[in-house]
Amino acid sequence: MASMNNIRTRIKLEDTEILHTTSTNFPGNYSGYDDRLNLDEFRQNLQVQITSLDDTTSEFDLIGIDAAIANAFRRILIAELPSMAIEKVHVTENSSVLPDDVLAHRLGLIPLRADPTLFIDKVAADTKEREDDTLIFKLKVACKKNPKAPTDGDDPKKLYINSNVYTEHMEWIPIGNQITKFKPEDIGPVFPDILIVKLRPGQEVDLKLVCHKGIGRDHAKFSPVCTGSYRLMPEIILKKPIYDEDAEHLQKCFTPGVIELEQDNDGHRRAVVSKPRLDMCSREALRYPAFKDSVELNKIRDHFIFSIESVGALRPDQLFIDSIKLLMSKCDRLLQEIDGNINN
Amino acid sequence: MYSSNDQSEMENDDDGDITTELWQEACWTVISSYFDEKGLVRQQLDSFDEFIQMSVQRIVEDSRPIELQAQSQYTASSKDVPYKCTIKFEQIYLSKPIHRADEGTVYLWPNEARLRNLTYAAPLYVDLKRTIQRDNDPAGEKKLDKVHIGDIPIMLRSAYCLLSEMTDRDLTELNECPLDPGGYFIINGSEKVLIAQEKMATNTVYVFSMKDSKYAYKCEVRSVLENSSRPTSTLWVNLMAKGAQGGKKSAIGQPIIGILPYIKREIPIMIVFRALGHVSDRDVLEHIIYDFDDMEMMEKVKPSLDEAFVIQDDKLALDFIGARGSNAGVPREKRIRYAKDILQKEMLPHIGITQHCETKKVYFLGYMVNRLLSAALGRRELDDRDHLGNKRLDLAGPLLSFLFRGLFKRLIKYITAAGQKAVNRSRDVGEWVVRSDIITQGLKYSLATGNWGDQKKAHQARAGVSQVLNRLTYASTLSHLRRVNSPIGRDGKLAKPRQLHNTLWGMICPAETPEGHAVGLVKNLALMAYISVGSQPQPILEFLEEWSTENMEEITPSSIRTAAKIFVNGCWIGIHRDPDQLMNTLRRLRRQCDIIVNEVSMVREIREREIRIYSDAGRICRPLMIVEKQKLLLKQRHVDLLKEREYTNFGWQNLVAEGVVEFIDCLEEETSMIAMVPEDLKPKGESPYCSTYTHCEIHPSMILGVCASIVPFPDHNQSPRNTYQSAMGKQAMGVYITNFHIRMDTLAHVLFYPQKPLAATRAMEYLRFRELPAGINAIVAIATYTGYNQEDSIILNWSSVDRGFFRSVFWRSYREAESSQGDQHKETIEKPQRTSCAGMRNAIYDKLDDDGIISPGVRVSGDDVLIGKTVTLQDTEDDLNSKTKKFLKKDASVFMRASETGIVDQVLLSINDEGYKFVKIKVRTLKIPQIGDKFASRHGQKGTCGILYRMEDMPFTAEGITPDLIINPHAIPSRMTIGHLIECLQSKVAANKGEIGDATPFNDNVNVKHMSEMLHEYGYHLRGNEVMYNGMTGRKLNCQIFLGPTYYQRLKHMVDDKIHSRARGPVQILNRQPMEGRSRDGGLRFGEMERDCQISHGAAQFLKERLFEVSDPYRVHVCNICGLLAVANLAEKTYNCKGCTNTTQISQVRLPYACKLLFQELMAMNIAPRMMVD
Repeated sequence: MASMNNIRTRIKLEDTEILHTTSTNFPGNYSGYDDRLNLDEFRQNLQVQITSLDDTTSEFDLIGIDAAIANAFRRILIAELPSMAIEKVHVTENSSVLPDDVLAHRLGLIPLRADPTLFIDKVAADTKEREDDTLIFKLKVACKKNPKAPTDGDDPKKLYINSNVYTEHMEWIPIGNQITKFKPEDIGPVFPDILIVKLRPGQEVDLKLVCHKGIGRDHAKFSPVCTGSYRLMPEIILKKPIYDEDAEHLQKCFTPGVIELEQDNDGHRRAVVSKPRLDMCSREALRYPAFKDSVELNKIRDHFIFSIESVGALRPDQLFIDSIKLLMSKCDRLLQEIDGNINN
Repeated sequence: MYSSNDQSEMENDDDGDITTELWQEACWTVISSYFDEKGLVRQQLDSFDEFIQMSVQRIVEDSRPIELQAQSQYTASSKDVPYKCTIKFEQIYLSKPIHRADEGTVYLWPNEARLRNLTYAAPLYVDLKRTIQRDNDPAGEKKLDKVHIGDIPIMLRSAYCLLSEMTDRDLTELNECPLDPGGYFIINGSEKVLIAQEKMATNTVYVFSMKDSKYAYKCEVRSVLENSSRPTSTLWVNLMAKGAQGGKKSAIGQPIIGILPYIKREIPIMIVFRALGHVSDRDVLEHIIYDFDDMEMMEKVKPSLDEAFVIQDDKLALDFIGARGSNAGVPREKRIRYAKDILQKEMLPHIGITQHCETKKVYFLGYMVNRLLSAALGRRELDDRDHLGNKRLDLAGPLLSFLFRGLFKRLIKYITAAGQKAVNRSRDVGEWVVRSDIITQGLKYSLATGNWGDQKKAHQARAGVSQVLNRLTYASTLSHLRRVNSPIGRDGKLAKPRQLHNTLWGMICPAETPEGHAVGLVKNLALMAYISVGSQPQPILEFLEEWSTENMEEITPSSIRTAAKIFVNGCWIGIHRDPDQLMNTLRRLRRQCDIIVNEVSMVREIREREIRIYSDAGRICRPLMIVEKQKLLLKQRHVDLLKEREYTNFGWQNLVAEGVVEFIDCLEEETSMIAMVPEDLKPKGESPYCSTYTHCEIHPSMILGVCASIVPFPDHNQSPRNTYQSAMGKQAMGVYITNFHIRMDTLAHVLFYPQKPLAATRAMEYLRFRELPAGINAIVAIATYTGYNQEDSIILNWSSVDRGFFRSVFWRSYREAESSQGDQHKETIEKPQRTSCAGMRNAIYDKLDDDGIISPGVRVSGDDVLIGKTVTLQDTEDDLNSKTKKFLKKDASVFMRASETGIVDQVLLSINDEGYKFVKIKVRTLKIPQIGDKFASRHGQKGTCGILYRMEDMPFTAEGITPDLIINPHAIPSRMTIGHLIECLQSKVAANKGEIGDATPFNDNVNVKHMSEMLHEYGYHLRGNEVMYNGMTGRKLNCQIFLGPTYYQRLKHMVDDKIHSRARGPVQILNRQPMEGRSRDGGLRFGEMERDCQISHGAAQFLKERLFEVSDPYRVHVCNICGLLAVANLAEKTYNCKGCTNTTQISQVRLPYACKLLFQELMAMNIAPRMMVD
C-alpha cells in the first residue's frame, strides 16, 4: 500500500529516467481511495506559503493542487495577463546607425510602468489616439559635440552630449484627461537606464512612441512577467544511515545546504537531510553504486514551488491574483456556455 | 626574468626553456605575433607588392628598345643616313590611385570607387629615352619624362594603396572598415579577388610510370625561362614499353626516345646526344651512367645505343632531327640550322638559350636519362603528381605580371606602328605615340571578367581567375581571399588530384573544400601557410661558386658519382664534394637572413646525393620552430619580449631574424623531423620514438583554414561534418563588415543581435570572429517534443523571436545609369509619362519623385518602380506616316523584384566614370525567422524551422528556463558530431563561469571530465542534463533533457525567397513555353521522370494537359494535299494553300508551338515535314 501511495503522491527520480510523472488519481482508478472532487477537502488541503516577496520577484509554495491547475496559472501569467507596451513608433527623424525597424523593435521591448487595468484594449480599426487606450511618449534626442570635452580622451560619453539614448530620455505626453488621472511617476519606463541607441554628433532621433495594451500571446513584449515557472518540492529519503566519509561524499553530491552532517552519539558523523528545498536535482548521488540503494530521490506531486519574476509594471503577488481571477472568469464563461447550450 | 617553479623538468640546465605548463600560452603568443605582422591576406599583399616593386620595372626594362627607321622610298638620295629614332624605356613611376574628373585629378578613395562604380587604379608613368639621328648629325638624345602608359588597378591595403599604414581612426573617417583585410581590387565598383591558381612546378624532372601505353616510363621536364612570356617547352625522355615499337624494331628491346619541342616525331635519345656534339658511345654513357661498374644500367641503355648505331656524326644527327621538324623539303643546310636552333633555344630553355650551353644541356639530358633508368630499375621512387612540393601557386603578382607582359608587348607594337608612321613623314616622335588605354583597358577587362588573357582570344583564356569578393559574412570574405583553385577539368573522373594528400598538412585546410563537382580541386590555405614571392637566384649562385661548387664546365663526368649534385631552381649548376658542410652553411645563412632570403628552401636528399635549392615564387611554406639538440630555440625570453611587443617592438620578424622559427616548404618538410609538441622532444635514450628532431610544430590547430577554425572541437567530429560546416559558415548571417550601412552591396544580410560564441577557438581571435560574429548563443534542448522537429527540422521559441532572436535585416541594391549613343539613342532618368511614353507597365509610377527616382522611406513592394528611365524612340518611316506620332519615348525603368517588399533605405545619386547620371537605390527588408527558414550549428547540423512555439508551450526547467531552440536527438548518433555536445557542455560551463570557454582542437587540457566537474560545481547535473516540465501539460517530462547554450547560425536560405507558384504567367518568346525560374514567375517543370511516371499509369489525358494544354498549345491549318502549313484567315474564313492552289481541303491541327516552330525551321533548311491528315 505504501508503494501505491508513493505512485499517487510522488514522482520518482531515477538515474536516467523519471517515473510516475502523470497524475493517476482520477476517481475510481484506485480501489480504497475516494478520488472524487471534494471542495471542502480541497479547501482544507490547499496551502499557500509565501517564502519571499518583493516588488519584482516572488517565490511561494502552492500545495494541494494538480499540475494542470498550477500550469494554467503559469501559462496565464506568461501569455494572457495584459500589460502596456510600445506598439507603434512614428519616425520623424532617425539618422542613427540603427534602421527604423530595428529601433522600433528595441523600443517595443522596453517595460513600461503603467497599470494595464486602467486601460482598455485598442480597437484595431480605431486609428484615433484615445485617452483610455493609448499612452504616448516622445523621444527626441540629438547628439552634439561637447564643447567642454577634454581634447585627449576618446570616451564618447565625455566627448559628445547625448551620445547614448536611454529610456530616461522618453517623455510622457498625456492626452485628454490622462494628466489628471495619472501622476507623472505612475507612467514611464520601468528603468531609466536602458540603452536604446547610440548616437554621434549630427545624428538625431525624433520619435513618437504609441503604447497600447496587449497580451503576451500576441507578442512577448506584452508579457507582464520575465518568466513564471514552478518546480516540484524535492524529497530526499536516506533509506539507510550514512556515516563519515560516505556522508561527506553524499553532501557533495547535493546542492550545498541540502545535506547536513550530524554528530552521532558514538562520535560518528551522520548525514541528515536538512533543506531538500534547495536541491537543484542534479541526481549526482544516483551515479554512485554506494548510494544507489540507500538514497531515494522523489518529488512531491502536489507541492509546487512557484516563482514569478515581474517585468516591473505590477507586483508579482498582484499578478498571481490576476491570473487566478482570469482563470475564474474563464471557468465562469465555460459554465455559461454550457448552460447556454443546455438551454438551447 | 622568469622563474621556473617546476622542478620536474627533464634536465636542470636552466637556460630559459619554456616549461610544459607555459607552452600553451607561449605558442599562442608566437602565433599572435605572426598574425599581427602578417595578417590573413598577406600572401595577396606580398605578391602584389612584389609585382609593383619588381616585376613591372623588370618587364619594362627588359623590353628591347624600339628602333624606327624612315623607309627609304621617301628619301631622295640614298647617301643620306635615313632619319632614325630609338625609343628606350627606363625608370617607371607609380602614382597613388586617382580619379580624373572634370574639375581635375583627385585622389580616389576606395569607398568612393565602390559607391560610384569607378576603378581603383593608379597611373603608371615611364621615362622614355629618345635618340634621334637625322641627316648625318650626331645622335640627339632627349628624355621624355614620366609618360603615362596606363593605369594599374591597385590592391587594397597594399603598399601603393591610399589606405596602407593608416590608423583605424583614419580609416573610420574615410568610411572604411578597420577590420577589412584588403587584398582585393575595385574594378568598376565591384570588389574582385584574384584566386590563387595551382600549377605544376616548372623546371623539375618528373618520372612517371605508364600503364597501357607505348611507353613504360616517362621522364618529363616542363622547362620555362623565368620572367619571360615564352610558353613552357616540355621535353620528354621516355622508355619504350616492351614490344611496343610495332613490330619492326622489336628485336632491339626497350630503347629510350626523346620528344623535343617542335619536333613531331620521337628521336632516339642517343641522336639527341650526338646532335649536341657528344658523338662517341663512351662520351654519351659517361653523362648518363655515373658509375661504369653499374652493369644493370648499362644493359638498359644498350638498346638505345643499338638503335642509334647508324648515326655516328653530329651533322647527321642534326639532319635527322631537322628532317623531323615542321617544314619538309628544305635543303640540308637549313635543316641542320633549324635543328641547331631548336636545340639551343627551344630545348631546356631554363638552362640557357644562348650559345655554348651544350655542355650543361648534355649533363641535364644525361641526368634525365639516369633518372628514367633508375626509376625503371626500381632504384628510385616515381614522382608524385599530387605532391604539394611539385606544385606552385600563381598569386596576384605572377598573374598580373603575365597580363602586363602581354599588354606591354601590345603597347610596344602600337608605339612601333605609330612611330613608324611619324618617322616616315619625318614628324617628331613624341609622347603622343604612347596610348595609355591599352594597358588600362586590358587589365580592367581581365580583372572585371576573370578571363585571364587577351580579350580577342577570350575562349582560350582561363576563366574565373578573378571573382567577385564574397561579402556574405566576414569569414566568407576571408576564406575567399585565401582560396586556391586547381585548373583541372571539373568533369575529370580522376580521383587522385581531389584527394587529401599527406603533404597538405599545415599548408592547405583538410576540411574546407566545396562538396560536389569541385571537391578537392578548390582548396583553401591553412591559417599559417605562407606563399613565397620569389627572389633572384643570383646571390645563391655566387655564394655556391665561392663555396667551392664545381661548375658543370669544369668537372669530369667521373667525379659526379662521389659528389653531390646541386640544383638551383631545377637547373643543375654543379657538384660539391662536401654536401654536409655546405648544407649546414646554407642553413645557417638562411637563419641569419644573410645572403639567402628566409623563404628559400633547401633540400638535401642524402640517398640520391642531391641538393636542391629553390628560390622561385609560389611555393607554399609554413613557419616551424627550430629544434637543436632536442631543445626548442624559442626561449622564455622571446615569449616575454613578444608579450610586451607593443613596447619592445619585438615581433615575428625578430623571431625569424634570430633564427628561432623558419619557413619550411613542402619539399624541405620531407627532409625534416618535426615534433608535434615540445613534450616529444626528449633527449636521446628517453625518447621512445625519435631523438633527431629538427623542428617542432607551433600548434597543430594551425593546419585548419579560415572556415574550419570556426568549428569548436573539430577534433571530436566526424571529418565530413567539419567540411559541411566549412561550407555552411559562409552562408551564415552576421556583420559582414562594420561599414555596411555606407556600402551599397547588391545583397547584404545583417543579423540584429550577433553574439560572440561562448565556446570559441583560439584561432578565432585572428579571424576577428569575436568582433564580427555570425550567430547567437541559443539555449538548445536536444529533445523530441511534439514531433515538429523531425527530419532535421527545429522548433523555435516564438517569444525569443519576438525579443529579437535571429532577426535580420536584408538589403538589396538596384542601380541604373543614363547613357547615350548620339541623339538616336538617349537614356534619361525621369518620371515616365503615360502620354509620351510607350511600353509602360501596370505599376504605380506615382511613387517616383519628380526627378524619376524614388525617395528614401517609401514602402515598396513587388513590381513597384524604383528608378524611372526612358529611352528615345527612333524615328522610323512608318511613324512619320501615321498622323499623330504618339510616343517619343519608351519606358526602361527599374522595378523591384516581383517577390520582394521593403522600404527604400538609401538613394545615391552621382556621376559615373563616363560622366553620366548614375543612381543606386538600397531597399531594406526585415527578415523575421519563420517556418522554413534555415539554421545550423557549427557542426554541419543544419535544419529548417518546423514550428514556432510561444514560451508557455515550450518545456521549462526547474529554474524556469525555456529553450530558444529544440533539435531532434536523432540528428546526433549517425552523424557522430560529438563536438556539438561538447560545445554545449563547454558553453554551459562558460555561461556559469562568466568567461569564454576554450574549444580549440588538439588541446588535451580541455576535456569532458574537467568540464563536467566544473558544471557540477555550479550545481548542475554533471553531464548537462536537466529535468524539464512539459509546458502544455505542466507535468514532468519522462526523461532528462540535454540542455545548454550552443552557438547557432542563421543561414541565408529563407522560405520567403524561395516560395513560388504559378497558374498563368509569362512565356518565352521563341517557343511560347512557360518561363523558367522563380524570378521570372516561371512554371514548374514537368520533366522526363514525371512524364515516365504518368505514362506508366496510363494517364494519357493528364499527360496531354501537362505537356500541351498548360504549356504551349497552338493550332495550325494544314493542306490536306501537300501536308504543309496553309494560310488561314479566320476572320474572313478563307483558307489557302498557295502551292496546291487549294482553298477547300484544309484541316485544323492542334499541336505544340514548339512543334510548329521545329517544322518551320526544318522548312527553312529545305526539309519539308508534311502532316498528312486523315
